[in-house]
Amino acid sequence: MVDWRLFEPLFNWARKKSLWIVSFCTGCGGIEMPPLMTARYDLERFGIMPDPSPRQYDLFLITGYVTPKTLKRIIITYEMAPDPKYVLAHGSCPINGGIYWDAYNAIKRLDLYIPVDVYIAGCMPRPEAVMDGIKKLMEMIENGEADGWKRYKENYEWYRKNQDELLGEGWREKEARKWIPWLMDKKKEEGT
Amino acid sequence: MLGAVLKAIFIILYATFVGFMFMGIIRKVTARIHRRIGPPIYQPIIDTIKFFGKRENITHGLIYDFGIIFALGATILALMFIPLGSISILRTYGDLILITFLLEIPMLGIMFAAMSSGNPWAGLGAQRALLTLLAIQVPLGFAIIALAEFYGTFSTYEIVMAQQVGGWSIFHLPLLLVAIAYDIVLQAMFGKEPFDMMIAPGEISLGPMVEFGGKHMGMLQIQHAIGLFAETLFFANIFLGGAVVIAFSSPILNTLATLGILLVKQIAVLLIAIFIGAIFPRFTIDQAVKFYWKWPTIIAALGAILASL
Ligand code: SF4
Repeated sequence: MVDWRLFEPLFNWARKKSLWIVSFCTGCGGIEMPPLMTARYDLERFGIMPDPSPRQYDLFLITGYVTPKTLKRIIITYEMAPDPKYVLAHGSCPINGGIYWDAYNAIKRLDLYIPVDVYIAGCMPRPEAVMDGIKKLMEMIENGEADGWKRYKENYEWYRKNQDELLGEGWREKEARKWIPWLMDKKKEEGT
Repeated sequence: MLGAVLKAIFIILYATFVGFMFMGIIRKVTARIHRRIGPPIYQPIIDTIKFFGKRENITHGLIYDFGIIFALGATILALMFIPLGSISILRTYGDLILITFLLEIPMLGIMFAAMSSGNPWAGLGAQRALLTLLAIQVPLGFAIIALAEFYGTFSTYEIVMAQQVGGWSIFHLPLLLVAIAYDIVLQAMFGKEPFDMMIAPGEISLGPMVEFGGKHMGMLQIQHAIGLFAETLFFANIFLGGAVVIAFSSPILNTLATLGILLVKQIAVLLIAIFIGAIFPRFTIDQAVKFYWKWPTIIAALGAILASL
């Protein structure tokens, strides 16, 4: 067998140079994503491309406040991606709740539920700040410090416990079944 | 025997590299059209390395893996039949129908894989892709009939040789009409903008590609690169005169000149596709089918009739 560890520097360089972003726009920060991609602050210079599929991305931008309802989707999207994947939390809300510190349905610390590699403060951060954060992430990828995906695997019990505490045990199944009674009712209505 | 194997390896490597450059050119030129700087031209190579460097892989069963390999294999097989100047290995057997058929097989391979993933978006994309495939058959068929009628042969290599004597195909009126129709079809075969209903980024997530990650996506990138190379090469061969240079005395110089001329022609074909793709929005699938059965079909049928007169 070939020892793939020999090629690790090459792969790290490639990972750094081609971060694909999943277009998951949460909160207000979603409005900061299009300017990053368009003509003025062109992020494609660094090989970054928005991509709508959760299977192909490497960089997950959490752009703002996260409600429990969104958190379920975020966790599922995070777990769907194959392994080297990085999370960049963008804005004050994922750090400590931001201006929603007393809201009953905003997550106060994103780090309790999925591992975050880089934070950018600001409400909302300028595109330059996001670019700065991405540059920091690139450096971290190069020296192998961006290991959120590794932490998620190693401390899965802890993350799982936090998620279950917030969203309730078995939330995945519940979320999938949520619409079935409604659909049944709908069918009955149409039938009569 | 050994010579043929070496040639095949050379063709595959050359096609992969140039195909990746084509993908880079597509992204770079599109970026320049939007007044952006755009990625470096070798960006698709980095993307592919990254996809192969993923630690995890998702698979949904045997057909899911097999479909991708099937697509890649069919593209490579199609490439083997297309004359690449003087260095193709199966060019004597490379007739028009065979190559056109083989260039469409990869789509079916991707469909297999996409359908077996069980993702509803992939199923939707597969449905659209098959409908597109159905729609482009009609103008494509007329184009092939016109070419065969005009040159009296189905062999691609003989068509290239005939153009050495009689001038490029697009300088004859019936074949010019056919070339226009074929160029519209090419837009759908590349998956470029007015007819990219099967991929439709943003509209149906990514269509058939939505479930591919890691190594599967890396293979698909390679397949796309070789596919781009093969399709542009086929167009350049049958409409733009191909290239068989015998001006120099040494065979190596001749080969290099051939590759250079072919490259220029292929890039010309590609640039037209990019320019059209960058300024036109996407059709819906029913509009596209109606469009393909109307204008390109009329143009190509006219060409076929003129060619047979
Ligand atoms: S940090 Fe500010 S801009 Fe960002 S999501 Fe929170 S409130 Fe909105």
